[in-house]
Amino acid sequence: MASVTYLLSEFRDKDAVASAIHSLRAAGLGTGDLDVFSEEPIEFRRGVLDRPSHMSLVSVLGAIVVGSVATLFVWWAQNNYAVVTGGMPVYSFWGTGVITYEMTMLGAVLATFGYFLWESGLLRKRDKTKPVPIVPPECICLRVRCTGDDVARPTALLRSAGATSVEKRASL
Amino acid sequence: MFATQKQPELLPYGKIREDLFRPLSGMTRKYFAAILIPLLIILFGAYAWTVQLRFGMGVTGLQRPVFWGFYIVDFVFWIGISHAGTLISAILRLTDAGWRKPITRAAEAITLFALMIGGLFPIIHLGRAWYFYWLIPYPNMRLLWPNFRSPLLWDLTAILTYVTGSAIYLYLPLIPDMAQLAQHNVPWRRKLYHALSLGWTGSDTEWHALERAMKLMAGIILAVAISVHTVVAWDFAMAIAPMWHSTIFGPYFVVGAIFSGLAGLMIVMAAIRKFMGLEQYLTRHHFDNLAKLLLLMSILWLYFTLAEHLTVWYGNDPADMAVFGARTRTRFAFLFWLMVGVNFVVPFVLLGIRKLRGITTGVIASFGILLGMFLERYIIVVPTLSVTRLPAASSNFYSPSWVELAITAATFAGMIVLYLLFSKLFPIIAVWEFKPHPHEDEI
Repeated sequence: MASVTYLLSEFRDKDAVASAIHSLRAAGLGTGDLDVFSEEPIEFRRGVLDRPSHMSLVSVLGAIVVGSVATLFVWWAQNNYAVVTGGMPVYSFWGTGVITYEMTMLGAVLATFGYFLWESGLLRKRDKTKPVPIVPPECICLRVRCTGDDVARPTALLRSAGATSVEKRASL
Repeated sequence: MFATQKQPELLPYGKIREDLFRPLSGMTRKYFAAILIPLLIILFGAYAWTVQLRFGMGVTGLQRPVFWGFYIVDFVFWIGISHAGTLISAILRLTDAGWRKPITRAAEAITLFALMIGGLFPIIHLGRAWYFYWLIPYPNMRLLWPNFRSPLLWDLTAILTYVTGSAIYLYLPLIPDMAQLAQHNVPWRRKLYHALSLGWTGSDTEWHALERAMKLMAGIILAVAISVHTVVAWDFAMAIAPMWHSTIFGPYFVVGAIFSGLAGLMIVMAAIRKFMGLEQYLTRHHFDNLAKLLLLMSILWLYFTLAEHLTVWYGNDPADMAVFGARTRTRFAFLFWLMVGVNFVVPFVLLGIRKLRGITTGVIASFGILLGMFLERYIIVVPTLSVTRLPAASSNFYSPSWVELAITAATFAGMIVLYLLFSKLFPIIAVWEFKPHPHEDEI
């Protein structure tokens, strides 16, 4: 099994990071090998380091599932003990529509939050072999995962893109 | 005057972080005093509630035919205040208004605390508060389920959704700040922030997920916030009672809620600015923008109030007109016209005239608006019940007892305590959101 090495590099501006990412991807590294660390969110142009997400879909699905379950539950509860309604329907959507709506929204809220925890990796078991850089103020760190012992080329690419420092770290 | 104030220069990030994290450390005598006095009021309010629990609802001013009084007014008022935060924050976030940055967290915290307080009132109003769990649909021996058609249960689901959404909406942008706070702090705080930040590292995967979640949550919470106050309005509008059974009650309540919420936000921001020394962050520019929003809402509120009353007057239905007369000409006329004065005339003068518009006048107008909106809820709730429709029915005058007043005062004190505790534990302005960018001129 090939050994894994990490390069931790520091940059002063995001254009330099974008340039480094371009070069590294052209050299054959995938987006899964690259991670940017910063004290604030960094927006790159489309195609630089895209992170596709299904959060919107999950949110909608959560809304549908919880809303449907709540509606079915209300329908079941209304029919479970059929009160005398004087000929009016036992279950009425008009009468319970608010509950359906609120539960649908609750489903969307919970699904969004749950998927955020999953997608961000905060909820998943962390890969403790990956070194996490401490980001100095006003800096952006780029972590590059290299397989094999050849780190000279990625290091050179990082430096040529404008990295102020590049540190080599073995897998923990 | 707001408009002539120049925007402050961009500050270095190190200073921003230092300024915004500084209020978290150290306890001054002023802070203790500020928390002790409200705590005493809360204790008195708790005592008043125990009196009510022991002797029953007879200790309140509620009597036939007025069975909805201060507790319902308080409930509607606090749910209204809760619209200060999440709704305003969500609108500003979705429209990408740059000036929102120092405001959003302070506003979101108001929402959560106001909801917690407002949510207590239906329980207090029940009288037998220990039977509150009957509202929750749980399997039981007698196959009895709550009445899902009751607006009371609608309230429960709406508030549950809003509290959950607001808590998450407040928590999400706190994560990066807590991760920073976990690095340099006293041990117990480090542990607390580390646990709450869930091991946040600041990777692009985390930032992307956070930004996506915040955008989605902003959209969802907008829809929830509007629905919550609409449902509160429907507590009244679904009853075929004079001057309650109105189709515009939903939007009327939403407008009133945003109006009172903005006033509450203005007061809280002025207090934060003064007592935390955050003049550089909460600038006159922010107060100016808030004042303009407040003025807009004041005009909208007047429009809805006029629309509501004019249609009733023109319809000339005897039952409606009896309540209309009580509101505008007889028993409740003083409160009604005072409400119009502090909700429209005072803000229109203080905030509409550019020369008069300032932080102090904004705060004065906001206190007036809070009073006016409390009166509005009182005027909606009590006259309809006071004016009976049967000639032989008694028509007692409702006035709140000391128990209701003490509990009401305790909730205001509770808001102060919760806010003071929150501002000692978490930065009141989102540090990472406030970080200036080289091309940004929107502080």
